[in-house]
Amino acid sequence: MENNVKPNNNVSNIENDESNIENNIESNENNIDVDAVEGIIESLLFISGDPLSLEEISKILEMDKRRVAEIINNMKGKLEAKNRGISIREINGSYQFYTKFEYSEYVKKLFEPKQKQLLSQAAYETLAVIAYNKPITKAKIDEIRGVNSESAIAKLLERNLIREAGRLDTPGRPILYETTEEFLRCFGFSSYDDLPKLE
Amino acid sequence: MINSVSETCKLKIGNFEGPFDLLFHLIEKNKVNIWDIPIAEITDQYMDYLFAMQKMDMEVASEFLVMAATLLHIKSKMLLPSKNEEKAESEEAADPREELAVKLIEYKKYKEISLYLRELDLKWSMAFYRPSGIYNKAYNGLYKMYGSEFETSNDNLVVSPETLKNVYQALLKKNSEKSNNRSVDIKQIIQKSKETLRSKMKQIQQLLLSKGRFIFTEIFSPAKKSVSEVVTAFLALLILVKTGNASVEQEKLFSDIIVERIKKSKKNLTLS
Repeated sequence: MENNVKPNNNVSNIENDESNIENNIESNENNIDVDAVEGIIESLLFISGDPLSLEEISKILEMDKRRVAEIINNMKGKLEAKNRGISIREINGSYQFYTKFEYSEYVKKLFEPKQKQLLSQAAYETLAVIAYNKPITKAKIDEIRGVNSESAIAKLLERNLIREAGRLDTPGRPILYETTEEFLRCFGFSSYDDLPKLE
Repeated sequence: MINSVSETCKLKIGNFEGPFDLLFHLIEKNKVNIWDIPIAEITDQYMDYLFAMQKMDMEVASEFLVMAATLLHIKSKMLLPSKNEEKAESEEAADPREELAVKLIEYKKYKEISLYLRELDLKWSMAFYRPSGIYNKAYNGLYKMYGSEFETSNDNLVVSPETLKNVYQALLKKNSEKSNNRSVDIKQIIQKSKETLRSKMKQIQQLLLSKGRFIFTEIFSPAKKSVSEVVTAFLALLILVKTGNASVEQEKLFSDIIVERIKKSKKNLTLS
């Protein structure tokens, strides 16, 4: 695996020739300058607003995905130090910088949090039902909750926490709902595996 | 009994998201096993709550009523003897409360998770991200700065100052033409409605000459009648009345408006 760092060796040779002036992440054919890679990843994550997928990062680095993931994990660890203000989140295979909770009150002096109003209890309930049963129809949600979920669903759609996911092939062809990546992001889940188990 | 319940209700009422919520509250309050709910007692208390809510003029959502009906149905099932003894022993004689208990338990799971989600939401609202949308992702995966172009490929925007000046002048010209055209349109619109007022006054006067007396609505042809036409005609009528060229009568509120010619003799009468 370590030998497969660059998929196309010809390209790497050309690059080695042309870019002695630039930083080269390879100090020799098989060893990677990990520090440089970390620096590059840091630049990429800094400049990107939206989460960057492992694929994208690996493509830019022209490196094996697993190796990149390892390096990023390592970075996460280093960022835990007190003198660092950012951490890396992983959401569904994508990474993003975010400011640490401990220092959020200072950040708030600079930025008003955009729209972070908490949702209603009904909305959280509806969201929970959808997250664990996706895709699911409104009728089924109503059945589980014992109440009409229409306004909760509308609110969740508005916040992009859920989306329509086709229709059920039964009479009436009711709409199916599922949760979005935004849902994972807002609640700090790196993937659906992270959701607590329903006992 | 109702009074004491409504006293305790006053604090709790309206806090229930739905019938399951209320039921749970009752189950916990009565310290009862969810698999062995004393259906009669619980149903009575549930109904008390509903009555108390209604008494306090609170709207009881239909879901609560549906649950009330369900509870009563279960209660009645429990009271009735089973059809025959064989059935009582077979699996068909399921506990009528079981379905409800299963639903309640499932609901509870989601309720707990929802509380947890709320906590998470609160926690993560303290995390700030770099605002997105500043950079637009190019289709080929390269990033372009929003609003300006800064491609890594070889085509650059090559423009001479002369071209730039020409383009700018053309743009200015186009803009000024646009605004001039628009103001011409406005003048036309204003003139159009002036003419209509005059024409309506003429029309009314002609009608007065020919008929002497007519109902206001006769001015309009039913097919073409529009709001603006009616308004214009009414204004025209008012002007004529003011200048002493017509008289107007309306028997009752909203009855027909009768327009009449002013006869010279009548005018004399008013003077004396």
